[in-house]
Amino acid sequence: MSTDAQHQNLRPPWILGNKSLSDVSRDICGIFERKPTALWWIAFLVAASMLAVGSAAMIYQMATGIGTWGLNKTVGWAFDITNFVFWIGIGHAGTLISAILFLLRQKWRTSVNRAAEAMTLFAVMCAGLFPLIHMGRPWLFYWIFPYPNNRGPLWVNFRSPLVWDFFAISTYFIISAGFWYMGLLPDLATIRDRATSKLRRWLAGFFSLGWDGSYRTWVRYESLYMLLAGLATPLVVSVHTIVSWDFATSVIPGWHTTIFPPYFVCGAVFSGFAMVLTLMLIARKVVHLEDYFTHRHVGAMCKIIILTGSLVGLAYLTEFFIAAYSGNPYEQFVFINRAFGPYSWAYWIMVSCNVITPQLLWFKRIRGNLMIVFLLSLVINVGMWFERFVIIVSSLHRDYLPSSWAMYTPSLIEVLTFIGTFGLFFSAFLLFCRFLPMIAMAEVKGVLREGHHAPAPAPAAPVRAAQEVEA
Amino acid sequence: MMTTSPTYRLEETADIGLAQKWLSLFRVFMLVGAATLVAGALLGGDRFWSGLLLVSVFLVGLGLAGGALIAFEYLSGAGWSVAVRRVPEAMTSFLPWGGLGVLLVLVLHPSLYPWMSHEHHFAGFKAFWLNRPFFLARAVAYLVIWIGFTRLLVRNSRQQDLTGDARCRQRNVAVSAAFTVLFALTVWLASVDWLMSLEPEWFSTIYGVLFFSGLMSSGLATVVLFGLWLRRLGPWRGVINEEHLQDLGKLLLTFCTFWAYIWFSQYMLIWYANIPEETGYYIHRVRGAWGSLTIVNLLLNWAIPFFVLLPRNNKRNSRIIGQVAVVVLVGRLLDLYLMIVPANREASALPDAWVVGLTLGLIGVAGTVFWRAMKQAAVVPVRDPLLGESLHYHQ
Repeated sequence: MSTDAQHQNLRPPWILGNKSLSDVSRDICGIFERKPTALWWIAFLVAASMLAVGSAAMIYQMATGIGTWGLNKTVGWAFDITNFVFWIGIGHAGTLISAILFLLRQKWRTSVNRAAEAMTLFAVMCAGLFPLIHMGRPWLFYWIFPYPNNRGPLWVNFRSPLVWDFFAISTYFIISAGFWYMGLLPDLATIRDRATSKLRRWLAGFFSLGWDGSYRTWVRYESLYMLLAGLATPLVVSVHTIVSWDFATSVIPGWHTTIFPPYFVCGAVFSGFAMVLTLMLIARKVVHLEDYFTHRHVGAMCKIIILTGSLVGLAYLTEFFIAAYSGNPYEQFVFINRAFGPYSWAYWIMVSCNVITPQLLWFKRIRGNLMIVFLLSLVINVGMWFERFVIIVSSLHRDYLPSSWAMYTPSLIEVLTFIGTFGLFFSAFLLFCRFLPMIAMAEVKGVLREGHHAPAPAPAAPVRAAQEVEA
Repeated sequence: MMTTSPTYRLEETADIGLAQKWLSLFRVFMLVGAATLVAGALLGGDRFWSGLLLVSVFLVGLGLAGGALIAFEYLSGAGWSVAVRRVPEAMTSFLPWGGLGVLLVLVLHPSLYPWMSHEHHFAGFKAFWLNRPFFLARAVAYLVIWIGFTRLLVRNSRQQDLTGDARCRQRNVAVSAAFTVLFALTVWLASVDWLMSLEPEWFSTIYGVLFFSGLMSSGLATVVLFGLWLRRLGPWRGVINEEHLQDLGKLLLTFCTFWAYIWFSQYMLIWYANIPEETGYYIHRVRGAWGSLTIVNLLLNWAIPFFVLLPRNNKRNSRIIGQVAVVVLVGRLLDLYLMIVPANREASALPDAWVVGLTLGLIGVAGTVFWRAMKQAAVVPVRDPLLGESLHYHQ
């Protein structure tokens, strides 16, 4: 095989079907310009009912107090914090895909970044609910802002990682939302230009901030995008780092370990990618995105899942190894208790879902079978929820004093609240699919000519400009 | 021996007069190193042996970083770095030399590790893990794995120069995957064995990650320096340009920042929890002269490379990025120095003549071995299908 032919094999196109620029606009805008299908309505009604049930549970526990939870004096943190970390972790993929993969010039990100960023925002909203409810008096949430107040010397404790968490997550949310909106501008202009109804044209026109598609606009847009990507990159890492500090700064065996920051970040990216895959594989089938979200995209995401999943596995191993190596009996007890104690079932679910499952993705044939990939992504989501549960509950439930050992079971209210956040997440995501382009059209247009295609007409000026800046 | 088109060979493309000057300098450094080694083995105490451990681990780290960079390139399918690949490939030939140094320390001066003396009686897993025969066997196993896999990667890559066979790349993707998994496990365990167990009561789960981050930043700095050197000497004129430098600069910036993140994570968590069995490690390192060195360490490994490399033009300026690379390499030496030497609580913070002599030897060995390895193949992977992409690459 000649070197040229080899190069063609190594660099196939990202977008299939030899699309033209207008094909992209038509395909993607078509998704929400049509009337919603029956399937969409069913999905939305299911999600909305879950949200309604969850809201009822939230109202009930706010009115009654968090005594409605299954906590006891030994296990003072459990379901609520597990769900918080679970959702925050899922909220990591979006900004990783849009910021870090942008800086690494991974062109395949263009097909998933929009949906992943939206998912990030919704996941962070779901996560935020849990600490808010946990405050007990959520209507006083603003007390966590450090501002001069009339409450006497009542200030937040700046040395508490819980306060850092508040700052980290709110910053992350604001920047992620800004980044997402910024990326939407050229697509909003496309929606405006295609709109047939007055209302849509006015709304899209208003929110596209007068986008005119000129060379100058594109250059400014691209440099702003890169700056935001650079700013968002440390945020992706910092959020879960600080979440890990919620645990690691304590002196509780099983929580206090120095590897937590990078380990939590890896786990977050791992779970986030699994959730993006879950959603994108459904969307791919339902609204026919086969040409945009191809096997190659799935393959690239699977590889990141292998990487992060294996790093998470290495972190589990490190914790065990160092517990044994340290010679510290308390440290050792926690890990033996994790694997063989009363919560060992949760531990082994975690290990088999998070460490063993992703190893299947080493095989090209498994990566190529989207049904299996979809099932594996669900398994990883489950596994990553259990990881947080194991870390939080199994480290607490048997403390230094055997007389205070206890077990924890979630109450119905806690379970319903968790279901409610899924309702919120999916309702929001379904609405997003109805009103905004799920795929970043402008960015996909920039990579249409990537790879080896049949000869095609030269791209229009703004796209060429975008390509130049991106390249 | 490989035979390739003559124009791509090092001897034919390099300014031999200039190269000879450099090589003689490296030879002098090597002699200084050899003399230090002999004198140290006969006369030196702990300070000499900890110096030898320092430079050997440094050299092993460069070899490992070379292997990791090649593996990451194949696994990610990166195109931009293909023209640069011969440098990390040549760096992997540091591994036997560095490995030899480590083994010399472990065999000839085991008392550097307090647990090898009889004062320590560990029980359970620790006694099993920290026992001398197993420890030595592990060290040999790590080195065999590293040398074996990197040889395989380099051989396949050079094979492709001759045959242009697409399977060479496919094979290397598979080898890279296997190597990356083993690399993660062995580099982590080797850092625990060779460095962390110098203070056997102390432990930290992030230690392996910290070692990895320093290894990568020093490896990238070395790639930058050797790349600039090859460009100055001729073979790489027209091969690498500002675009490649900018990308190498970005990676260097990234790994320096990653190092700082990991360093801070370890320090902050130990400071915050304030558990006596952990804090001892840092209390000694943040007080007095050691404390000043710790601050300098943060400046060299993070603050300077971060702020200097942030602007685009600095990454594309060969003089600036070259100077930053030197700063990072000095920083890596200091970082390892801070990991190794204060393990002996009586040791003074001032570097002694042993370390200076051994460091000169390190430079001499690195330069000479690198040149020899580069001579064995074409200066770029001439028939890699992505070479064209790399040569014509622009940001």
